[in-house]
Amino acid sequence: MSQEKLLIDVGSTYFKVSTKNSIEQHFRDFNKSILDDLTHKCGQKLEGFDKQDIHICSSANGGLSTLIIGVTNSFSLKYATNIAFNSGINIIDTILFQNIEEYTIPSDLIDVVIITGGINSNKDNFSDELFHYLEKLSYSNVVFVGSELDVPTIKENIENVVVLPNIIDDRLHIVEDSLKNYLTNLYQQDIEGKEDIKDLYNITDNQIFSTPYVVNKTLPFIDSKYSVVNPFVLLDIGGATTDIHYSKDLVDENIVTENEYDRLVFKKLGVYKSKQSLIFAAKNNEFVYELLMHLKVTENIFEEQSDKATKILMQLAIFLVLCKISHYKKAYVNLKLLSVNSFVLTGGITKVLTAEEIENIISFFYKKILNSEHNPATVLDSNYDIWTLGAEGKETCQ
Amino acid sequence: MKVVTGVVGNDIHVVANRLIDLSLQARGFEVFNLGVNTYLEEFFDAVIETGADVLLISSLNGEAEGWGREVPLLKAKYKKLDDVIMMIGGNLVVGTGNAEDIVPRYEGYGFDIVCHQVDLNTGLDSLEAMIKERHLEVRNN
Repeated sequence: MSQEKLLIDVGSTYFKVSTKNSIEQHFRDFNKSILDDLTHKCGQKLEGFDKQDIHICSSANGGLSTLIIGVTNSFSLKYATNIAFNSGINIIDTILFQNIEEYTIPSDLIDVVIITGGINSNKDNFSDELFHYLEKLSYSNVVFVGSELDVPTIKENIENVVVLPNIIDDRLHIVEDSLKNYLTNLYQQDIEGKEDIKDLYNITDNQIFSTPYVVNKTLPFIDSKYSVVNPFVLLDIGGATTDIHYSKDLVDENIVTENEYDRLVFKKLGVYKSKQSLIFAAKNNEFVYELLMHLKVTENIFEEQSDKATKILMQLAIFLVLCKISHYKKAYVNLKLLSVNSFVLTGGITKVLTAEEIENIISFFYKKILNSEHNPATVLDSNYDIWTLGAEGKETCQ
Repeated sequence: MKVVTGVVGNDIHVVANRLIDLSLQARGFEVFNLGVNTYLEEFFDAVIETGADVLLISSLNGEAEGWGREVPLLKAKYKKLDDVIMMIGGNLVVGTGNAEDIVPRYEGYGFDIVCHQVDLNTGLDSLEAMIKERHLEVRNN
């Protein structure tokens, strides 16, 4: 048996299999489980490796949804939102507790509800309105990270609540570790818990990690593969989700300090499984029709099933992601996009679009939305070097 | 007793801010100092998070004049600030002005104690006097 490592990345649309000398990509057969599909397409390769030499990460349908309830915008909600986003969580909504009765109840099942508010010497931050709201809400997990004086009332009224240390200390500063670890583990469990992914433990002895986690670990070493000029934004546009990773220098607001790079996962923005929600988002963007004209197509392209339609969708995805992180859309984070020196693109998009086609969209975005001639460099990670580096790096960390 | 304090707006007078912090501590208050360059919403939010009894805003470059006007509108959005003692002090106008004009203006914005160019200790004496007065009122009721 070889001592070489076999690295596997399971996405929602493709899986990639990499050894020291080769990398191959396969479109997933959705009539088969991932393990069956993998064995069918790469069985011979798998046989050449021991279980301890196979390392797997997955981003298939990754990302958890959360609803955050806090008592102020400047502290509890801001801190919890920062921690959640940096743990690969998608924020469905934030609720300012004093106005909780005015909020509508989300119809989707929420993966985790986060409740926070008050320093430890302040009590009665919450009242019955909170418990009435939660009774009407569908959720899988609920975690309390507020004042410890409120814990008895919270435990008495909310079934199965997980209580963690307060995220606000007595100087009103953020304390991120406990909630961050909890959410990261929940995200990890969610990926591992998917039946398809569980099966993969038949072929590996190593823990299966989430792909954004692995990629984020690579970023400090990206210079070893590409000449990327800092600060940069990395876009990983896949079939179901889009992950962005960015240098901390590009934000003023972020208060989570541990890592040099932050990451966000947009759960319903992808070109295959999340195609319909991408089209929906596109139709709601006032600049998209102008962009379609710029690309010399009409909106009928959304109905087409062709290589050209896929290209257009990918170009739209780039544009929509840039809008989401710019001042044009008030969202969790607005990056200082005029300071960006490089855009690095990885994921399936690099197999479909050329550097020129990507640059075309980026320059359209800068002109239309930012009214600027700024022209950052575009770097295509078309051989999945970033993921490979991360997967290898992860394994050396273990 | 808890006090939230800080310097409002784009004002970096950190020494005065530190002196207020130390003076409050010397008088036995538990101080939450938001420092300089603080926005109005952060002051109110800090009061909510800490359960503070007093909000003491300072202003040295006169920026309070602009921010003060925003107080009634913003405060009305909060449901738990009615019992908080609101105090403001420092140099409360851009240029010159006299206390007879300035104090009523700030009282109109909702401040209980207004100290325009008043010595720090004198200002804090009036704060303590108001606290005593309110306690007496509570006891008598």
